[in-house]
Amino acid sequence: MSMNRIIGLMLLLFILEGTIMPWLIPAGFGSRIVPHFIFVAVLFAALYSGRHRALLLGVSFGMLQDVIYFGHLMGAHAFIMGLIGYFTGLLLERKRATLMMAVSVIGMACILYDTAIFFIYKVFRITSESYAFALVDYILPSLFLQLAFALVCYVPARRLFEAQVKANPENEEQ
Amino acid sequence: MIELFKLMRNKRMFMLMIGFILFIAVIGFSLSDRKELTWPEKFLKDTAGFVQQWFYKPAGYIAGFFEDIGDLRLLYEENKQLRLTAAAYSREKIEYNFIKKENERLKEALSFTERQKQMYNYNYLIAQVISVSNDANNRSLTINLGSENGVRPNMAVTTIKGLIGLVSSVTPFTSTVTPITELDESSPTFNSIAVTILGREDESFGILSSYNKETSRILMTKIDEDDKMAVQDTVITSGLGNVYPRGLVVGTVESKQVGDFGLTLTASVELAASFDHLTEVFVVQVPELEEAEQ
Repeated sequence: MSMNRIIGLMLLLFILEGTIMPWLIPAGFGSRIVPHFIFVAVLFAALYSGRHRALLLGVSFGMLQDVIYFGHLMGAHAFIMGLIGYFTGLLLERKRATLMMAVSVIGMACILYDTAIFFIYKVFRITSESYAFALVDYILPSLFLQLAFALVCYVPARRLFEAQVKANPENEEQ
Repeated sequence: MIELFKLMRNKRMFMLMIGFILFIAVIGFSLSDRKELTWPEKFLKDTAGFVQQWFYKPAGYIAGFFEDIGDLRLLYEENKQLRLTAAAYSREKIEYNFIKKENERLKEALSFTERQKQMYNYNYLIAQVISVSNDANNRSLTINLGSENGVRPNMAVTTIKGLIGLVSSVTPFTSTVTPITELDESSPTFNSIAVTILGREDESFGILSSYNKETSRILMTKIDEDDKMAVQDTVITSGLGNVYPRGLVVGTVESKQVGDFGLTLTASVELAASFDHLTEVFVVQVPELEEAEQ
């Protein structure tokens, strides 16, 4: 399993997230349940493949999202995705994360991610809603979607990323 | 060893700072008032748009098929409604033709310039949605028409139900639509849209200022104190200022209150269009000044 394959799969995921997902979410909930599958994939990379890879994937796919869906400002997703990916890797890459562990880490990271993005928009006055409202309106409902996705993809994602580490172990320094 | 460890820590800190500065720089760059996107952005957006259109449309057809089956029971009711509307339409069409002819004759008599005549001659470009952003605070849509097809920033985008947004940026083959649910007076990327009431176009005036996500209503401000607008009136764009076209349905007035300073009124407007499961949208092309003068 090469890195190219992981990047290819994540690109496909990125496309599906913007095209198929809006049709799967029931009408009326479009702005309440928002998929962040790329972010979940970055977290899997952090847990099973190392922090540097997570940083790299997070920054590049975050930037891709920022550019392609550019509406108000650019760079927020790249920075936050890279940062959270890196620190998740820093905390947990030595431990062999189990299913429960991985899902709870992903859940917390998703809340953190949405919160950070919300406050960036708040600082630049793009949005004027209160955090409590945002939490109930879309952060928590989307969290369940992300957790469901993480559960479904746990086995293939872990296999993919761990195989990638085994294939070239010299990349994992120290 | 400890020295080395400290150095590593400092390096991490250092990289974080560099990253943060870069992040602020990129945000500053994107918030600056730029007229056009840079070429890497255009290239990336066009490439992504090209791939995305293979996915969004088929998914829409499949979802649409199931929705159609669900709607089968309502068909009889809908047909009855449509027959009534068609009858009313054919009556009004005759009247419209007379008025249009007379209007043209009067314009000719008053020697309107070519620009004045062409001012309201809008062109509707039909576009397909190809993707929807997955960011709750930036619900931008991408459509498959770009600057090559004559789409320019700030053009209004509607569905058959009503106004949904404004084109925020264009690339050669795609363009990004910012929905009107992103309207916010205090935001640096704010556009104000002048609106009026259907049936009282020259008496009512207001400006769409911000969308309140908590009540999902859009706020209409700067309404005159003596304005006779009533609840359930249809709000349409007024086209004053000639940037946005006139006559696009926005929604219905839900309630009217006294504004912040007590001098003007505000009204909350329920939007007519829905923003989920969009397939076809219309970009309204306003005739450009140069074109008309030729």
